[in-house]
Amino acid sequence: MAPLGKPDYSALRELFRPHIESFNYFLDEGLEKALVSIRAVEISDPLSSSKLRNILLFCREAGLSYKGEFKVDVNFQYDNKAVIREPTSFGHLPIMLMSKRCHLRGVSPEKLTSYKEEATEMGGYFICNGLERLGRLLILQKSNYPIGMVRKSFRNRGDGYSDKAVVIRCVREDQSSVTIKLYYLHNGSARLGFWIGGREFLLPVGIILKALIDTNDREIYVSLTSCYKEKYQRQKGAVGTQLVGERAQIILDEIRALSLLTRSQCLEHIGEYFQPAMHGFETESHSVVAEAVLRDYIFVHLANNYDKFNLLIFMLQKLFALVDQTASPDNPDALQNQEVLLPGHLITLYIKEKFQEWLHKLRQELQDEIVKNADGFGFKELDVKKIIRGSQTIGRAIENMIKTGKLATRAALDLPQRDGMMIQAERLNFLRFISHFCAVHRGAGLAKMRTTSVRKLLPESWGFLCPVHTPDGDPCGLLNHMTSSCRVTSFYDSDGNIKDFHKIRMSILTVLVGIGMTTSLPMLEQAGPPEVLHVLLDGCVVGSISSSKMEDAVSHLRKLKLSAPSGIPADLEVGYVPLSLGGAYPGLYLFTCPSRFVRPVKNISQSSNENHHIELIGPFEQAFMEIRCPDGGDGGRSEDFPATHEEIHPTGMLSVVANLTPWSDHNQSPRNMYQCQMAKQTMGFSAQAIEKRADVKLYHLQTPQSPIVRTDSYSKYCIDEFPTGINAIVAVLAYTGYDMEDAMILNKSSVERGLFRGHVYQTETVNLEKRHDKSTRVVEIFARSSEKKMSSSIDSDGLPYVGQKLQPNDPYYSSYNTLTSDIKPTFLKGSEPAIIDYVSIDGTNSKSGMQKANIRFRRTRNPVIGDKFSSRHGQKGVCSQLWPDIDMPFSASTGIRPDLIINPHAFPSRMTIGMLLESVGAKGGCLKGQFVDATPFSKSVNKADENTSFKSSSLVDELGPVLASYGFNYHGVEVLYSGVFGTELTCEIFMGPVYYQRLRHMVSDKFQVRSTGVVDQITRQPIGGRKRGGGIRFGEMERDSLLAHGAAYLLHDRLHSSSDYHIAEVCSMCGSLLTTSTLQPPKRAIREIRGLPPAKTPKSYTCLACKNSKGIETVAMPYVFRYLASELASMNIKLDLRLSSQQEK
Amino acid sequence: MEGVSYQRLPKIMIREMKDDYLKFNLTDTDASMANALRRVMIAEVPTIAIDLVEIEVNSSVLNDEFISHRLGLIPLTSDLAMGMRFSRDCDSCDGDGQCEFCSVEFHLNVRCDSDQTLDVTSADLRSTDPNVVPVDVAARALSSDPSSFDSDQRGIIIVKLRRGQELRLRAIARKGIGKDHAKWSPAATVTFMYEPDIQIKEDLMETLTLEEKRNWVESSPTKVFDIDPITQQVMVVDSEAYTYDEEVIKKAEAMGKPGLVEIYAKEDSFIFTVESTGAIKASQLVINAIDVLRQKLDAVRMQDAEADFKEFTDHMQGGG
Repeated sequence: MAPLGKPDYSALRELFRPHIESFNYFLDEGLEKALVSIRAVEISDPLSSSKLRNILLFCREAGLSYKGEFKVDVNFQYDNKAVIREPTSFGHLPIMLMSKRCHLRGVSPEKLTSYKEEATEMGGYFICNGLERLGRLLILQKSNYPIGMVRKSFRNRGDGYSDKAVVIRCVREDQSSVTIKLYYLHNGSARLGFWIGGREFLLPVGIILKALIDTNDREIYVSLTSCYKEKYQRQKGAVGTQLVGERAQIILDEIRALSLLTRSQCLEHIGEYFQPAMHGFETESHSVVAEAVLRDYIFVHLANNYDKFNLLIFMLQKLFALVDQTASPDNPDALQNQEVLLPGHLITLYIKEKFQEWLHKLRQELQDEIVKNADGFGFKELDVKKIIRGSQTIGRAIENMIKTGKLATRAALDLPQRDGMMIQAERLNFLRFISHFCAVHRGAGLAKMRTTSVRKLLPESWGFLCPVHTPDGDPCGLLNHMTSSCRVTSFYDSDGNIKDFHKIRMSILTVLVGIGMTTSLPMLEQAGPPEVLHVLLDGCVVGSISSSKMEDAVSHLRKLKLSAPSGIPADLEVGYVPLSLGGAYPGLYLFTCPSRFVRPVKNISQSSNENHHIELIGPFEQAFMEIRCPDGGDGGRSEDFPATHEEIHPTGMLSVVANLTPWSDHNQSPRNMYQCQMAKQTMGFSAQAIEKRADVKLYHLQTPQSPIVRTDSYSKYCIDEFPTGINAIVAVLAYTGYDMEDAMILNKSSVERGLFRGHVYQTETVNLEKRHDKSTRVVEIFARSSEKKMSSSIDSDGLPYVGQKLQPNDPYYSSYNTLTSDIKPTFLKGSEPAIIDYVSIDGTNSKSGMQKANIRFRRTRNPVIGDKFSSRHGQKGVCSQLWPDIDMPFSASTGIRPDLIINPHAFPSRMTIGMLLESVGAKGGCLKGQFVDATPFSKSVNKADENTSFKSSSLVDELGPVLASYGFNYHGVEVLYSGVFGTELTCEIFMGPVYYQRLRHMVSDKFQVRSTGVVDQITRQPIGGRKRGGGIRFGEMERDSLLAHGAAYLLHDRLHSSSDYHIAEVCSMCGSLLTTSTLQPPKRAIREIRGLPPAKTPKSYTCLACKNSKGIETVAMPYVFRYLASELASMNIKLDLRLSSQQEK
Repeated sequence: MEGVSYQRLPKIMIREMKDDYLKFNLTDTDASMANALRRVMIAEVPTIAIDLVEIEVNSSVLNDEFISHRLGLIPLTSDLAMGMRFSRDCDSCDGDGQCEFCSVEFHLNVRCDSDQTLDVTSADLRSTDPNVVPVDVAARALSSDPSSFDSDQRGIIIVKLRRGQELRLRAIARKGIGKDHAKWSPAATVTFMYEPDIQIKEDLMETLTLEEKRNWVESSPTKVFDIDPITQQVMVVDSEAYTYDEEVIKKAEAMGKPGLVEIYAKEDSFIFTVESTGAIKASQLVINAIDVLRQKLDAVRMQDAEADFKEFTDHMQGGG
């Protein structure tokens, strides 16, 4: 029915864009920018005073496929002579698939398949050691926006510190960042804190204010108090109080007490303070150090000291407003104040850090060389080159970071965590694979926190993070998924060109000035909030706009956002925080920077232009916008705030996986959460190029189907390429009792005809090279022994035959040891037969012969009792019986027997109405021969165009008539007859097709049985562990329950007879269990009785301590008891047994 | 108990008969008999199906088990099945089930050498016994008009091959019953319904207006009733279309006219619908099913003679 055309993968590709674009940026520009910002290292020779400069000018990167060569031109300059360029290799850099350096980029799906790749290949990940790894998207604090925070831990900074601070994460253009905290002191002053090398430095704010620019106390005072005007007191939006003046006084007094009056004095003070902490400034003067501190740590996103000064004043005002409770604190857990860390940006950061480390080391080495060859040393090019040669570690460091996900740096890089930056992209299921790329993690550090506030679903994340798609359990609420419509801003504009942020900011500035903004260039700001509102563009106070004009200014900016040629980027975030009483600190905050969340909504206020009415909005501005849902209602919005925007479709608030649940709006919400998780563990088509893949474990459904009832997103994201289940005829009835408690009965004949048949592919990589140390020089190669029995399952090359079926403990490959020259076969482990699916040999070019091979096993997994299945509505169940077809109930009119029977009790408490609707809908779809659209919330969109108004509001009234028109019951029930008796069942049975998924949890991987077997060496108790053939522990709690039941015999059986039953000889005279020993039996002829095995001579025991065998008694006891006695004996404690016969008492 | 005969003489009236479809009435018996017949038709009538596959070359995209499973599900003409031996109790071969009395050998040897995708179908299976062939092949051979089969309908597709791919195998077909594996079931669908007995209370019906009558008639999802265009009386047009859904009874109650119609299921009259897979003709399926059922009853009767069963009957008689 579906049109057979080329599937459109663009929607799917869109999901992976943030990953790829961020890496492209790293390749295109990030690398260059990162290196430019590294301080040129100067190495001076104290004797000849000749200077050598290493300037890293530009990098070139020649990439092939997954790892590209990484070359940097290192430039040397000797004594200001000509620059000598020296191309240096820095090892190999892993390359993200589908990035600009990947050879798959821009290749058509047809071509991709000829490359043995998936036609849908979307890239976005790295391949390291054959594993697919991708960067984890991490939530970070919003860049360049000062956040008012209240945190108890701030008090621990020292005496007098309050719990309030204003925090800003300043981000340079290369995405490296420095967080600055402005703490409030109880005495009214403030301290500026930032981290250098693992230590937080706290400075009185006055020093920084004075050090930044040449100013005087009066100017600072006026600037600070500009936000307070007496006439606006307690008016709406007035953030200043009269305390501000006093505080300004205190700040100024503080530095006066230190007798720091002028800028140069302040710089000197800072320089002196920081010299030991700063690297490479040992010989510089204090003022140079201070300049460096201001440049490298204070507001690094700003280049100009005046801008820094203005921002600091702004932050102080915000801090005071926070303290005076004229402005509320911002919530750092809300998405409003967050953005995301992209893998490309992380790599940019990391490589910058690594280069810095490398340069420091290089400098050290050169310095040492100079000292060593102090006499007559002149720089020779060769020497320098020689030292540089050894530094290929950078490429390897990046690769290691991708492999392990660990950041191995000394500095924290201003990131919330150092582990788990990279994760593996599991392909066990396509939905799981794509969810990895949409997942956003809140930070590993928060997982251990006791409080649950960070896990809360906040209204700010509406439309950006999916409320349904989060795992339950440990990472609940911390691991979220982006909605299907959510995007991340990047360095690229819509044409694929790198954005020129400088140009963008200039054009925004001209627009702002045109609207009527007073620029903040004349340094003294005379007015504050209720009168005028500050405008911050990417964390730079660019000016202020009168609050009356603000509304117009914002709507003008939004209008320009929509029209392309305006020079205003479409993803500009116009965060207008209006005046309020004690609300968020007012102002106009504009953001152009990358790695922000954005999502499209319709702008209905600028309706003049129909084509350009989709606006991209961010979570910061969303909180202050009026966006209505397209259901015709206004959502209780008051008249004063008419809606200016409208959601495109309600499904935009759901993630891709959550969007696939049909009629999820009819389900109880936790059921949809369960489905999101279960969809990711279904056995389906994990890949189409399964023949070419070497994943450790792959699940595969033999004959999957396309669901009859499906949502819009199903075709949008081409899930038909990777279907996950089968349309099974499901009858809801309690039939045999085998469907109780979420069990389900499968029709045996259906299973025999191929229902839910599947395979598990397992690849084993055999590397003979790694078996021996390189030093031992033992070489092993694949070879077959001449033994006859081996050739039945091993080919002449020592590897198995492809297509061969192997039973457990069959040999499947053998290797020849060149040293001992013996051939050792390896046997198939486990209890399940396997078929050799594929054998490949790696590294044939090595001299020593075949040493590495991949062997892929295939195991058929037909449904058996105990396998797990689930519908798409969080209704999972375990197969309890394969019931004969003839015993299943049948319909008299159609003769249909159900494939699957579930119990009606699965519905009342779970309220998955969607599943019932799916059954009815799919039945109608089957009869009509059409797919049924089950997009959730589609009703609310239809309401908008009034013409297609439905008389009935119930979905059943749409689906029922279809059934009725084909002669079926309106509500989807049918009269069934018992297959056993042939009589009519007393009630009508709800029956219809439901898309069922087979989950990857199968009994064959999990069952554990044991009768007798391996026991532990020391305790002689049965061992644990499924793989080793161990038993299930009968533990303390189980013991307790048997005690409670008084089941003494069973208890004795489990814990003693069936465990470590042991008969010990005990000497009743000394009470010892350890001193008994066997006596050598006297050699005598044993009388042989014909027909009987020779009788054993009874062993006789003696006590070594008593030198007597009189008191020896046999006692049954657990063997561990003997072990306990020996352990105690080793500690010089004697364990004494008093034996007595029970009768005596 | 002894001597009392419950024997009835069931009658079959064939109403519609095609090669793979049969509709008949079974009367003068009860549900246990009818259901036994249904169950035997589905699960106990023997047919022949591929049971063992030896794959020599398989370079297709589907794996060996998948192809073997597909081969097994191809219905083969099984008119000989009743006379064949089960390979498990065949004396002439030593239980390997490969002799001519209990098995039929098939060969498949296909290789794609063109650029176009080649469909390997049931038509490519070469049988050693001309009586046992895939049903679609047999149907084509029998039909007088070969053009009635489209050229693109070459048979049941087993696998598709690309250039250079090859499939070579030997398959053994054996006799079996649907109880052991669904591939041996000769019946696509066997179902029966109780013949309904519909009585409209004419006098009560006359109290309805035409509009009400129409509403009532339309309340049945299947077309059981209709209104006579001339007399405007409600009449039963197809009582067998009734599915015992009781929609009309509920409707009558909702209209405030309970008892408007009375519908009973006749206890001893069944309408059977048999659809065959083509392995054996639908009519033959019923005959074979009765044979199998008779054999089973014979087996019971044989057991009856044995002492242990006698003991049981004695016990029953003594107790009863």
